[in-house]
Amino acid sequence: MGSKELLDNVKQAVVNYDSQSAVSTSEAAIKSGVDPLDVLDKATEGVKVVGDRFQRFEAFLPQLVMAADAMIAVEKIVEKNLSKERRVREKKRVVLGTVHGDLHDIGKNIVFALLSAAGFDVTDIGKDAPVEKFIEEAKGMNADIIGASALMTVTIEGQRELIDELERLRLRDRFKVIVGGGSVTEDWVKEIRADGYGKDAKQGVEVALKLIGREV
Amino acid sequence: MKRFEVLDRNEIDEIDDATLTVLERVGMIIHEEEARNMLRKNGASVDDKTKLVKIPRGLVKEGVSKAPGEFTICARDPKYNVRTTCDVTYFEPMIGRLNILDSRTGVRRRTTLADLDNLMRIANAMPNFQLLHSGAMMPHIEGVSDSVSHVYGYLSGVNNAQKVVKGTGRGRKRSDDCIRMASVLAGGMESLKKTPYIFTTCNTIAPLQLGADMTEGLIEYARHGQPVDVASEVQSGATSPVTLAGSLVIQNAEVLCGILISQLVNPGTPVFYGTCGGIMDMRTGNIALGTVEAGLINAASAQLAHHYGIPCRGTGATTESKVLDMQAGYEKTITLLTAALGGINCLFYPGVVEHALTISLESLVIDDDICGMVSRLIRGITVDDRHLAVDVIENVGAGGHFLGQKHTMDYLTQEHYFPTLSDRKERKDWEKDGARELKDAAAERVRQILEEHTPMALEPDKLKELNQIVKEVEERERAG
Repeated sequence: MGSKELLDNVKQAVVNYDSQSAVSTSEAAIKSGVDPLDVLDKATEGVKVVGDRFQRFEAFLPQLVMAADAMIAVEKIVEKNLSKERRVREKKRVVLGTVHGDLHDIGKNIVFALLSAAGFDVTDIGKDAPVEKFIEEAKGMNADIIGASALMTVTIEGQRELIDELERLRLRDRFKVIVGGGSVTEDWVKEIRADGYGKDAKQGVEVALKLIGREV
Repeated sequence: MKRFEVLDRNEIDEIDDATLTVLERVGMIIHEEEARNMLRKNGASVDDKTKLVKIPRGLVKEGVSKAPGEFTICARDPKYNVRTTCDVTYFEPMIGRLNILDSRTGVRRRTTLADLDNLMRIANAMPNFQLLHSGAMMPHIEGVSDSVSHVYGYLSGVNNAQKVVKGTGRGRKRSDDCIRMASVLAGGMESLKKTPYIFTTCNTIAPLQLGADMTEGLIEYARHGQPVDVASEVQSGATSPVTLAGSLVIQNAEVLCGILISQLVNPGTPVFYGTCGGIMDMRTGNIALGTVEAGLINAASAQLAHHYGIPCRGTGATTESKVLDMQAGYEKTITLLTAALGGINCLFYPGVVEHALTISLESLVIDDDICGMVSRLIRGITVDDRHLAVDVIENVGAGGHFLGQKHTMDYLTQEHYFPTLSDRKERKDWEKDGARELKDAAAERVRQILEEHTPMALEPDKLKELNQIVKEVEERERAG
């Protein structure tokens, strides 16, 4: 099989939301001498196909999330096979969590999948996460962005507390903070001086890409 | 009239069995410690670190069997006491939403205390609303400090409505404050415990979680013998399986778990089996409640609840439309119809728009009219000698008419529903009257009610006592 065909198989696996096939086709391509970064690019093309279909209502959220999962699976294989010197494009890192007192995380989970598919290295600290946990994890992994989600009006203060604490610790400039969730509004974002907000998962990803200087 | 049955007997048993398996093998995450301890004491396996509780099926069955099949919730005007059974259909209008669709501007804005007073007065005046939501549930009322929104909201409720008013179950403190205020209506705490004057909703969090706040509320209301609606809101495809049967399993597990806790706290606590289930719209990622799937979930939930011998609270008159347009019309009607036909006993949510996030005065009056139509529908067709009217037919004869018959006058208002808002005029008359659309008629009815309707006044000594409680709560929160 020629390298073009091998690469097409990788793309097709992602387009078909098939993580297992994505892994096996990536391994096959790399084994036969294809550049791992070319494999990654092809997988990304696959995610874009599904993303475009989603925009046109021809594919839905589950397909998008599964395509993202297939992409993440390919990334793991690519990472394993890239020498340190060749890690040209260092991934930007995101810490994601739902604020303390809030147990709702379905939106955050969708954002996790889409951010990963967009090429971010995402750590999910889960739900009901105290401010300290966000900050510890962000410091520990040298994050670029902290994403804080809150569904309810009664828990949304957690987003303000996070930003206030970052300021108190003189760490505010070190991280971009994006917020999201059912009760977040433009006015709230201005009030707490967050760096951005995603009114839905897709917009959240667009905002994150903008913040790291990579427009969609 | 025979109700619309979505499930047959075998299917109910299968869902019940799957539910008990899930509670035994998968378990529930229960954040509130007292609830976990009670379950552990009664044989559940509890991991305090993960808060995961696995509940043996025998315990679930035993607990659920203690919940009563009927109960009364009292209103401050006894004429509006509500006797809840597994056969009735009552409607609960929504009142307390963060945002209101402004009648004059059509713009969505934050709900104020003055809005709550108006919403409550409209609900009080509507012939088809019996159990009233209130501002007590609002975490934020514009212009009111968040720490006291529950007492201001509840006071606005009982002051502007003489019907049954709901209180908040958000946390122990707030629950106790509202229960204390309800005891004023009952004539004391001992009296309240004997005859409930307040009820609340405890929402679970799908999949299979109970938050601390809501569980504290559940425990407080149960402790005081006040009814709790244990309600699950699955988003099929996201927080429950995409299959509706699987969604019912998740919902059933959460609701039965909550009901079990209420019976462990106080055996015989009146409860509703509650559903607010819908789907996640997979194109937008938003919840969709005004859907045929929600209708099916409601109808199936009524069957499940009645299988357990418990009255069912459901959800209808929901819509994803942001305005009162045709989408709102058909979504509200489909959901109200399927829930009522399915046998829901307390049908919650008339009055809402926009995924049930926003309240509207006009929607309250429109939905009341649809509720009236639905109530007529479920009464069905009476067939007996008087209704067959053979003697009347003989009297009128072939080629005659029935307009002048006493029989027509005697049975007219029972047999035909008279809508308050639908326009049935001939075109020329409709044009002559200004070619009004529904939204104009609704706005006019709102204006008329707010001008003319005065709820029965709260007794001055009770109002004084309630105001005193609000003041004490305010001082306590300021000091705290």
